[in-house]
Amino acid sequence: MPPILRHPGLWPTLAVLTVLCLLVAAPLATILGETLGSAAWAEVLASRLSRNLLWRPLATTLTIGVAVAAGCLLIGGFLAWLVTMTDVPFRRSIGFMATLPFMIPSFATALAWGTMFSNGRTGGAGGMLEGLGVAVPDWLAWGIVPVILVLIAHYYALAFTVISAALSSVNGDLIDAAMMTGASRRRIVTGIVLPVVTPALLAGASLAFAGAVSNFATPALLGLPVRMQTLSTRLFGMIEIGQTERGYVLAILLIAVSAVFLGLGNRLLAGRRSFATITGKGGRGRVMELGRARWPLCALALLICLVTTILPIILLAAASLAPMSSALFSDWTLHYWIGEADPAFARGLAGILHNPQLLTALGVTMGLGISVALAANAVGLVVAVTTTRWHLPLLTGAATQLSFLPLLLPGIAFGAAYIALYGAPIGSFPALYGTPLLLALALTAAMLPFAVQTGRATVAQISGEIDEAARITGAGFLRRLWSITLPLAAPGQIAGVLLIFVSVIGDLAIVVLLYTPATPVLSVLSYRYASDGFHQFANAVTLVILILSIAATLVAQLLRKRQRNAA
Amino acid sequence: MITLENLVKAFGTGNAPVVDDVSLSVPAGAFLVLLGPSGCGKSTLLRMLAGLENPTRGTIRFGDTLVASASQSLPAGQRGVGLVFQSYALWPHMTVAGNVDWPLKVSGLDPAIRRIRVAEALDLVGIADLAGRYPAEISGGQQQRVALARMIAPRPQIMLFDEPLSNLDASLRVEMRHELTRLHAATGATTVYVTHDQVEAMTMASHVAVLNRGRIEQFGRPGDLLTQPATAFVARFVGTPPANLVPVQAGAWLGLLPDPALRGATGLAMVRAQDWHLSGPGPRSLPAQKIEVVPLAGRLVVTCKLGDQRVTVIAEPEAPLPADLHLALPEAPYALFNIEGQPLP
Ligand SMILES: Nc1ncnc2c1ncn2[C@@H]1O[C@H](COP(=O)(O)OP(=O)(O)OP(=O)(O)O)[C@@H](O)[C@H]1O
Ligand SMILES: [Mg+2]
Repeated sequence: MPPILRHPGLWPTLAVLTVLCLLVAAPLATILGETLGSAAWAEVLASRLSRNLLWRPLATTLTIGVAVAAGCLLIGGFLAWLVTMTDVPFRRSIGFMATLPFMIPSFATALAWGTMFSNGRTGGAGGMLEGLGVAVPDWLAWGIVPVILVLIAHYYALAFTVISAALSSVNGDLIDAAMMTGASRRRIVTGIVLPVVTPALLAGASLAFAGAVSNFATPALLGLPVRMQTLSTRLFGMIEIGQTERGYVLAILLIAVSAVFLGLGNRLLAGRRSFATITGKGGRGRVMELGRARWPLCALALLICLVTTILPIILLAAASLAPMSSALFSDWTLHYWIGEADPAFARGLAGILHNPQLLTALGVTMGLGISVALAANAVGLVVAVTTTRWHLPLLTGAATQLSFLPLLLPGIAFGAAYIALYGAPIGSFPALYGTPLLLALALTAAMLPFAVQTGRATVAQISGEIDEAARITGAGFLRRLWSITLPLAAPGQIAGVLLIFVSVIGDLAIVVLLYTPATPVLSVLSYRYASDGFHQFANAVTLVILILSIAATLVAQLLRKRQRNAA
Repeated sequence: MITLENLVKAFGTGNAPVVDDVSLSVPAGAFLVLLGPSGCGKSTLLRMLAGLENPTRGTIRFGDTLVASASQSLPAGQRGVGLVFQSYALWPHMTVAGNVDWPLKVSGLDPAIRRIRVAEALDLVGIADLAGRYPAEISGGQQQRVALARMIAPRPQIMLFDEPLSNLDASLRVEMRHELTRLHAATGATTVYVTHDQVEAMTMASHVAVLNRGRIEQFGRPGDLLTQPATAFVARFVGTPPANLVPVQAGAWLGLLPDPALRGATGLAMVRAQDWHLSGPGPRSLPAQKIEVVPLAGRLVVTCKLGDQRVTVIAEPEAPLPADLHLALPEAPYALFNIEGQPLP
């Protein structure tokens, strides 16, 4: 028997690998297989249709990606610089608020944009600005400009996180050392500062780019009404009208586009020339004195943060109460929340709390959120334990790669892959389409990278010397588990679960292809209301999601803080 | 030659100065060590020499040139100084050779000359084979050598070091001490070296300035610090092991054992570890408790508790420690200081 067959880690690793194959590899292999040799490739890539099917949406998608990446770099980079390198007041608060927009689903921000800027062009009364008598031009109300702005407001938080982490590790001595050579200020900036921070800037930009090109909700809400198509909305449209093979081809292309840029970003972050400071100890941080610009810059930063976090929430709340979004703060009514059906009002639709579908959706969403969070977390922990404990040639590497692969997959393409595999019966195994299980599986797979990350942090925390220290006291396994491992791991694990919960209930891209009327979820419901023109209802539903998200985020934040204090 | 006159540095107005009225002068080619505990202002003083901070008051002269005063300051790049940072501050995006080359490039040297200088510098610190690596790909000791090479390649007239060895392990530190001495001899550059390790000061310095809270406690040759400590602070800071300072009151050791050799003083009596010895009870001895025993060069350094103070004493390894441990006092203290730590005549 070859030694590998007797390896104690073989069976656990194989088991983990099987689960990962079913969750991640198989759906991808299916869309590849289904389109292999299919005529759809030619139709999409080179036919009379391909201009509308692929090239124009691709051009729009790339334009959006580049513009959003640039915008995020500018705003995220500016805030990161302010927070890590200057003496701006309220640094900690700005640093905290700048990470929040990522917690607000992008369709919430998009809806808020509509509340403010929409005009009568696509029917309806127009938004708040029109109500104030401002004629909003089409380019500001619909299409590529608002899509780009909304996506920047959403993804700059990502760029901020990456860049500020990098900047805070840049050692002020590096710059002093350059000053010692007598180099000019400009030469120091171009020769030392920029090259040192560039990898972080590019990594932040490529993350924002990948996020923007795969985003579905924003172009769907702000672009589709004026027939602006991106790869993700095109892919959605193809599958909705039953042209699944073309849809799959688009999904593969979308994955390729976003993966190339994400891969690039990761490379830069991990590269040997990256910002990571080479140092013994004793480097001094360098705080730049802003002088008179201190308060104006602080105000600007706070304004950016407020406009991208609190303002959309206020707009949504007001718009869920006002009959006309052109008069956001008058005639408030709770009808859209609790009203009975009334033919004279809102085309006879009852308030969302009387809508049986909403209650079902609330149940399904909560159920999905909780079960996916727990399941993903469990799988993530097992994957983390298995891949850190045993190192089998090929197998361990494959498991690790597979568990992080979903990071590269745009949600809507992932949804398409799941339909391809589990949408139809497999042998005697019934089709999962129309069951919550399909949604749960897809979401679990999509959340795996975060769960594995949490799992690894936990494993790193509880293995090693801390556990050994307890073992030396003679404590048995259960005793150690109960009084050392669990208390240490619990806050991190719970925080991980909560963050997955937030991502799940705010997700639209994955579920929009997978839901059926039998399995409604809140985000899709809100999207449906919005695309049918019932904005108040859409806003109300979105607010419900936001309230759940904020509550979960705050709890997670609290737990993190407690954990950090304990460490 | 470096001359400091009444040098003061305070961060922000109204704050207590971090460097307080420092004056000293060393000849060209000297190896000056700034010695002092953490936070005493050593790095700040060094950074003023480098041109990275400006003095609040006072002047810095290199030879006859005034390089810094409260009103004017020669930029760092024009002072002809090189600095090795405690954190090394290697530029992570350049190779080892690139790091050494960049300052030369900035100064506008010919590429051919630069190549020779880089090779020379790398050779001198013994890392010629690492030229193509990035800083992240070499060890801490090697990074240290890159930082040295980068400093010496432009041939500065003055070399500055900020605790360059504090991140290295003990054996590497001994080796690098030797390397630095060799480097100093090879370049002949005037050197200012900051450390809190008195061994480094004793082994490498031609001149030592002991700093405490921004002020100079003593400035002199390394040997002088041992034989003629100017203050109690210096006596307690230098020597291996450092000298003991035993409280005396009205001419009595610990206020208990009167001794005419104390001349009625109240303050601190300096007793070097080799000046007293362990004994049993006796007329000129004080009771003590043993804390630890460290073998050193064939003898023992015994740390004891005397009153509420730790003191050290040298003992011979053959003689067993007395059961009822006492310290037999010397004929006379090596020196006497008053309560403020100033020497008594
Ligand atoms: N930029 C600054 N602003 C305000 N205070 C400073 C600044 N730099 C140093 N200080 C203060 O000046 C004092 C001396 O600092 P310095 O770095 O010179 O000490 P050091 O002797 O080098 O200490 P160490 O051995 O720990 O490096 C410290 O109390 C420090 O807090
Ligand atoms: Mg220092």
